[in-house]
Amino acid sequence: MELPAGLGQSFGYSAAELGFCAASWLFLRAVAEQGGDAAVETLRDQLGRTYPVLDAVASAWLEGMRAPQVDVAPLLAACAGARRALLVGIEADHLDALVPRLLGEGIDVALLQYSLHAVNWGRVLDNFGDRVTATDLTSFQGLAGSRSVIITMVYGAQGHNVHVLPAWLRVHGADVRAQFRSLIGWDVLRRPMFVYPRWLVEVPASDFTHLL
Amino acid sequence: MSGAQLLLTALLIAALLGQALVPTLRVLLVIAGAGLSCFAATLLGVGTTGQIFAEIPWDVLILLVGLGLLSEVLVASRLFGVLALLASRRSRGEPRRVILWFALAMYVVSGLVNNLTALFLVLPVLLALLQLLGADQRYVSWTLGVVLIACNLGGAATPIGDFPALLLLGSGAMEFPRYLAHAAPPTALALGLLLVVVLLLVRPERALARTPLTAQLSQAVMQALHRNVRLDRRLVIPTLGVLGVMVLAWVAVPARSGVSAELIGWLGVAVVLSLRARLGERLLRTRVDVEAVLFLLALFVMVGAVRRTGLFGEVARLLTALPVAPLWQLLAFLLLAGLLTGMFSAGPSMAATLEVAHALAHRLPATAVYVGLALSVCAGSSLFLTAATSGPMAQALTERAGLQDHGGRPLRFGFLNFLPVGLTGFVIIQGVAMLYALLLVLAAPS
Repeated sequence: MELPAGLGQSFGYSAAELGFCAASWLFLRAVAEQGGDAAVETLRDQLGRTYPVLDAVASAWLEGMRAPQVDVAPLLAACAGARRALLVGIEADHLDALVPRLLGEGIDVALLQYSLHAVNWGRVLDNFGDRVTATDLTSFQGLAGSRSVIITMVYGAQGHNVHVLPAWLRVHGADVRAQFRSLIGWDVLRRPMFVYPRWLVEVPASDFTHLL
Repeated sequence: MSGAQLLLTALLIAALLGQALVPTLRVLLVIAGAGLSCFAATLLGVGTTGQIFAEIPWDVLILLVGLGLLSEVLVASRLFGVLALLASRRSRGEPRRVILWFALAMYVVSGLVNNLTALFLVLPVLLALLQLLGADQRYVSWTLGVVLIACNLGGAATPIGDFPALLLLGSGAMEFPRYLAHAAPPTALALGLLLVVVLLLVRPERALARTPLTAQLSQAVMQALHRNVRLDRRLVIPTLGVLGVMVLAWVAVPARSGVSAELIGWLGVAVVLSLRARLGERLLRTRVDVEAVLFLLALFVMVGAVRRTGLFGEVARLLTALPVAPLWQLLAFLLLAGLLTGMFSAGPSMAATLEVAHALAHRLPATAVYVGLALSVCAGSSLFLTAATSGPMAQALTERAGLQDHGGRPLRFGFLNFLPVGLTGFVIIQGVAMLYALLLVLAAPS
């Protein structure tokens, strides 16, 4: 099956607002519906090098997985006793499962508005009703405290290193480490990437107090 | 022309040209021009600043601010995002249906609320869809162009849709129901003609590679981007209810009662803002369109100063003294109004030409003159990308969205990209305006 031109731009646009994993699953479902596993392989061959998370998720698809594994229980355990959670990065499937549970536990949730790509933040927040507040790099430290946690997305671990979004580097500094109770990395990919992790950065796993 | 007429007209034209040539300084330029006009008018004995300010149509500014705030309440209810998603769903990822549904949606919305606000919220959804459809430059230019013109037509369809109609309503030239009954049909006709020409003759989508996968993906992604976006019914239902009551009052309450259009608008918006008091207070403090208010205030001052010199009256006398039938005078006036709007935008040209329209309305059916003028101003607003505020805003939003074609080339929406669409729209709307005015004149009892 020949895939339409411009699919890469469409994927990039979607991934900016839905997250690399969520966009990958969405594209894979649509492509597989039209052309089966052969089309999934074509998609991986065409876009996998540009979007390594898509490459990894396509591999999972071809191994038989059909949906992302989203388990919020360890996250909730790591956030126990917290009053505020700062989210760094977007993964629609994962945040849709996590945010209502955090709010249910009485934890205020804020989302850091920072991305290397164009994101319609108003629309992102509208998906959480009026229950998630927005913050940015100049003000997020106002959320700091002994009962505050930061949660960021991690894209696969390799040895002692993990891959994160560049936003994490903007947030994670020596001062911030001391200002928040926990720094939680949530592995949303759960498998190593085969190709060069473009769009992501490698950081030591020891940056996090919890890696789940 | 007297010295006062020359100087004050030169100041007005210089300010208008300046704001058209340097749009980034447009408010500063017209505010400075208004200050100089007041100064010159005082020195030349034309009138004091107090006298000029006393003639400003404050009712129009009140309605403009009030309806802008009403739009902001609807923004807070997420109405526009949901409408955009509905238009996106209705289009089913089919490029021609995208043009059709987004144009229809913007036409309807622009008739009721501030089209700039609506456009600001709907365009990102449309731009996302264009990216997902793998649009090329031609398709982007025509789609965005048609949507902009649909906004202008929607704004001209009702007395509360846009500034020119508000000015007619505020000046007492036309009453709400009469304007609505006479302006809505020709604007709908113009939109229909535009869509027929674009979808059947121009066919901007013909070079797009359409596959079932593209259509499916565009729908799936749009759904995912808005997966949990819900309409705030507790806000939107009472707001639309109050808007409905306001429209009823505008239609039913006679002008002689003293309960004027702007008073109805003022009270209605106060009720809407009180529905959620904290939101209302925040909107009042932060979301009043100060730029538009200052711009129009400065225009009214400059036009008011020129009016006090008697120039507009002389122009009207010259026009009515032309050695042709009044009908031809009207058609020439409408064409001139359209072209002036294309150059100077709707606010200035409407404010300047209304005086002449009043003179023509003494000799011809008032409805033909005023509705023809509103439609001609709408045609002029659609001529160039810079003729209406929505154009540069759409340009900026498109650049910010970073659209690219299949080859990775950036897709733009600039002056030249819009020009073919604008010319098509101008010819259609101006043609409808003149034809409609002609029919009204011919149908009127002699």
